[in-house]
Amino acid sequence: MKEIHISRTASKGIAIGKAFIVEKISLEPDEYAVSASELVNETQKYDHAVSEAVKQLELLAEDNDIFGVHLEIVKDTVLTESVHNRILEQGMNVQQALNETAREWISMFKSMEDEYMRDRAADIKDICGRLMCSLKRINYNPFEGICEPVIIVAEDLTPSDTANLNLKYVLGFITQEGGITSHVSIIAKNIGLPSLVGAAGILESVVPEDLIVMDAKEGRIFIHPERSVIMKYTEKKRKLDRIKRELADKSMLPAVTSDGHKVSVYANIGSAEEAEALATFHVKGVGLLRSEFLYMENTHFPTEEEQFEAYKAVAYQLEEEITIRTLDIGGDKTLPYFEFEHEENPYLGWRAIRISLEKKDMFKTQLRALLRASIFGPIRIMFPMIIAIEELREAKEIVEECKNELRVGNIPFNEEIQVGMMVETPASVICANEFAKEADFFSIGTNDLTQYILAVDRGNKKVSSYYNSFHPAVIESIRRVIEAGHANEIKVGMCGEFASDEWAVKLLLGMGLDEFSMSVASIPFIKERIRNCSYQDAKMYADTYKKE
Amino acid sequence: MVNQTITVKNKSGLHARPAVEFSKLAAKCKSNITVFFQEKRINPKSVLMIMAAAITCGSAITVECSGETEEEDLKILIEAIESGLGE
Repeated sequence: MKEIHISRTASKGIAIGKAFIVEKISLEPDEYAVSASELVNETQKYDHAVSEAVKQLELLAEDNDIFGVHLEIVKDTVLTESVHNRILEQGMNVQQALNETAREWISMFKSMEDEYMRDRAADIKDICGRLMCSLKRINYNPFEGICEPVIIVAEDLTPSDTANLNLKYVLGFITQEGGITSHVSIIAKNIGLPSLVGAAGILESVVPEDLIVMDAKEGRIFIHPERSVIMKYTEKKRKLDRIKRELADKSMLPAVTSDGHKVSVYANIGSAEEAEALATFHVKGVGLLRSEFLYMENTHFPTEEEQFEAYKAVAYQLEEEITIRTLDIGGDKTLPYFEFEHEENPYLGWRAIRISLEKKDMFKTQLRALLRASIFGPIRIMFPMIIAIEELREAKEIVEECKNELRVGNIPFNEEIQVGMMVETPASVICANEFAKEADFFSIGTNDLTQYILAVDRGNKKVSSYYNSFHPAVIESIRRVIEAGHANEIKVGMCGEFASDEWAVKLLLGMGLDEFSMSVASIPFIKERIRNCSYQDAKMYADTYKKE
Repeated sequence: MVNQTITVKNKSGLHARPAVEFSKLAAKCKSNITVFFQEKRINPKSVLMIMAAAITCGSAITVECSGETEEEDLKILIEAIESGLGE
């Protein structure tokens, strides 16, 4: 057994099967001399290859718009001129001229800083390969001979390669080259096949028909695995498949009640990686991204750049709101590189927004990163633990200060970015009406709110049985917050555990909650619950909880 | 000659598809068009030249048109970039 580790996963999942190795054909240019009188004829050969490629690509573009891009590139006069000039001025044959031109463009793209742009080198390579095949009169299907499901192992796969591939016979992809934004990565992700890219040395380790076990989540490839390894991964795969099927069946449907009332069901996440999985589960937004991961898994206060990159990575992944909560540290969460003074009562102590407002530079670093990332997706900023309108105003003023700095520096950000707050203290419930006039949205944090309203530490075994979000005081608080929000035309969400309590769904729905946010695993079930409710019923049901 | 500076908002910058959209539009315009980005001068009628310029999200580019239809052409191009070039 041989094992290979890969650190970058393009698309998660497990595959067990035989290797099919994609043979590379030689696209080296033939070396023949061209006499001066035949040079023009040689340029015409290129033009002919282009028109053939155009015909092929027009057909392919109907199914996949990446070929629409190839079509425009192949028609680009800059490319044509570059090949023609090499023929006419340097006396190259058409194949050499194309090869040189391709090499120049590919190396240019490969040297780019931006990873996405860099991966476009593969498109140029693919296009020039297509032209070269036409010039060399090669008609080649690299997947000929596949008649059973296999794991495709290749140096790299171009869009033109995969267009020839019958995906029914593919269990997974392993490529030696390529990045996570390469074409094969995107295809694999879209159809949910495991895929590992940049697997250095894979082609030297595998021969056709070798049995392979790949776990793309862990980034492991086993070649000639032992029986125990096969058994282990077969079982793991079976479990994953079942969960995936169940989730997929349910999560595709939107959260709309039987009488057509639509609410948002979003995810609570604690890292940028988690955001990647959301699309698979048809989750379109994030109701709570805890930014603490950037601070806690670090050796220093994260820099603006570090934070910007992380927020940007999340912003890319989602279509709807991405609510990012500013640092919520203190209480039970501390930092390895910052000393917190001992407090008798940390939950009533120096935490969350209180720290941010005092450590203004640290706060501004985070806000600037959030603002800068806001052009990449619908990011919303959310402040935790607000108790006074002055705090909200001060925090918002600092946001404005950051916006001004960015404007002066000509750094783009979303001018319309929403700034809202958590409602998780009794003070913010009682003053909800005031807050709703100045916040762009509310999100009720029921975990802390329940603890603060009931004066119960749910971590304390002796009193944890008193912790109950169904307590009339908590329910009444939630109702007030929703009503205050709606009276001021702002949306009210909930990101505490109560939002994923299956017994609370109908009540919350009936009280008019706009957004339910919870861990990804709960989403399919809660969505199903919502679909099984009628909004009219839920409203009447919620009224029975009303305090006179 | 007219020109205008604009910020590119496409998530992955003027990569493949938006670059194609832009070059198609530019090719339809009668004016001479030049795009300035950092120190580069780009002929936007070529999709390859646009892609090669590696214009990432958040970059400011200046579009310059000259010719009889320069006003209309500039307007068309700026509006297209503003609206995200089909993305």
